[in-house]
Amino acid sequence: MKREELVHNLKVAYARLWVRLKGGYREPEWLVAELVIPVITLSAYVFLYKMVNAPPEYAGFVIIGGTMMAFWANVLWGMSAQFYWEKEVGNLEVYLVAPISRMAILLGMAIGGFVNTVLRAVAIFIAGILIFQVPIAIYEPLTALLIFFLTIGALYALGMMFASLFMLYGREAWHTASLLQEPIQFLSGTYFPTTSQVVPYMVQLLSSLIPLTFGLDGIRKVAILGQGISDVWLNIIALVVFIVVLLPLARLALNFMENLGKKEGRLTLRWQ
Amino acid sequence: MAIGTILRTIKQAVWLGWKVETNWADPVVFAIYYLIKPVAGLLIVGFIFLIGSVVSGAVNPELFMFLFIGNSFFIYVVQIMMTMTMLIHEDRAHYEVLKHIYLTPGSLQWYIVGRALNGVMNASVSLLLTLGLGVAVFQYGLGIPIQIDWLNIDFGLLSLTLLLGIVCFMAIGFILCGINIMTSKVQFMLNEYVSGTLYLFGGVVFLPELLPQWGQHISNALPITYFLRIVRFSFLHQGSFDVQMNLLYLVATMIATILVGLAVFKVAMFKARRDGLIDKKEEY
Repeated sequence: MKREELVHNLKVAYARLWVRLKGGYREPEWLVAELVIPVITLSAYVFLYKMVNAPPEYAGFVIIGGTMMAFWANVLWGMSAQFYWEKEVGNLEVYLVAPISRMAILLGMAIGGFVNTVLRAVAIFIAGILIFQVPIAIYEPLTALLIFFLTIGALYALGMMFASLFMLYGREAWHTASLLQEPIQFLSGTYFPTTSQVVPYMVQLLSSLIPLTFGLDGIRKVAILGQGISDVWLNIIALVVFIVVLLPLARLALNFMENLGKKEGRLTLRWQ
Repeated sequence: MAIGTILRTIKQAVWLGWKVETNWADPVVFAIYYLIKPVAGLLIVGFIFLIGSVVSGAVNPELFMFLFIGNSFFIYVVQIMMTMTMLIHEDRAHYEVLKHIYLTPGSLQWYIVGRALNGVMNASVSLLLTLGLGVAVFQYGLGIPIQIDWLNIDFGLLSLTLLLGIVCFMAIGFILCGINIMTSKVQFMLNEYVSGTLYLFGGVVFLPELLPQWGQHISNALPITYFLRIVRFSFLHQGSFDVQMNLLYLVATMIATILVGLAVFKVAMFKARRDGLIDKKEEY
């Protein structure tokens, strides 16, 4: 890629990032909802662990899971389904006729979405820790940050890949995004460790196909169980592999689906 | 309004709701969609329970039954709230048909009832599938005894409770419709707020006695608490349970909810007509 082209696409990413940042704070009622609603759900699961007398670190697992779920929700609704919304409001065709990389738009969305979500996620984390008095044991903060950022990278790469699918979707976009919530929460072990002996082997196998599983497991080990890099190096490798595989796949999928959409005339189809 | 007109309005609304909900996919994909979400929800709480119990050293099947039935029947709340919060937004801003429905001889209220009943239908299908798959996974797959005598369920009591509960949840839905008609873009969060609050305080997956005192007061004021208690009794027949008193509380909270729901909706429609909100356009 030429330097001029690179600068041009970075400007595109910045422009989309700016819209995302601005939009994220335009409606304060959404900001409040994104903080309060996850805490309500998390509380129910923490009480469920309390009902069966589970140790307090399990409440910590729930808080970490709920915090990371904020990013998954952003990936689903703010990245994957975004091209569907853009199509519905008539922006997608503008993106497609502009002399810009689609990946630059997605990069802008991803960074903007991440910045917006990180503030909400931190608030959910702190609220959860304070309300439920969860013990935190971070001895290697750099390891925790490394796993966190690798997880975010893998999740948003996955979101970019899904975005190509959603570009052609009609109303099924809504249902598909909705469908990728509870099943992913279950498979990735958002609220419980999938490494438990209780979880069947098949479920563990399926869960290993989701980057969030490795991220959650790693962050829990480092933030709640007080473990270090020697205990989570496999998680780090798995997350790096996800990023390396998913990013080029996202680019390929985006080109393929755009061409398919052009052939079938579905890129500007609304109200499906 | 003539009974015939009301029934025709409800029938058409149910049919329309069914089409809107289902015609985006072929029947198999649709069935999978309606199965996977609630089953995944049940699996999440089921595995939290199991893992937590194993770590603490004791699996209590009675507590498992508590969450199994509670979480399964909570699908009625989820579906009715989802249908009724999205309805105004979709019909007004997305498909732009609310003004046409408002102009027809059939009342908008009965149209909303019909759409909500479609949500009830979908919830019933999801419930049956969830119960079946839940038993298969937890009893036959993971060895947790599901202590339900399926031939000895008190169907009379269960039907009555379902009827009262559904009317009650629809009344809450009318409050949300009223709020939606006067606002814009809050439909997603309204649904989550209401469902989440009912999930936390309604004794769905954990005993409300675990809540702090103020939380227990909220729990006692919610119809979902009594609804789920009676539903559980109709399945499990716990000896010490006072059915009549719980039915009385359910009816009382239902009447209160209906009165509030209809009042909010009427005021909202009056203001919407006055302020020109019935055909308000949003982002589409």
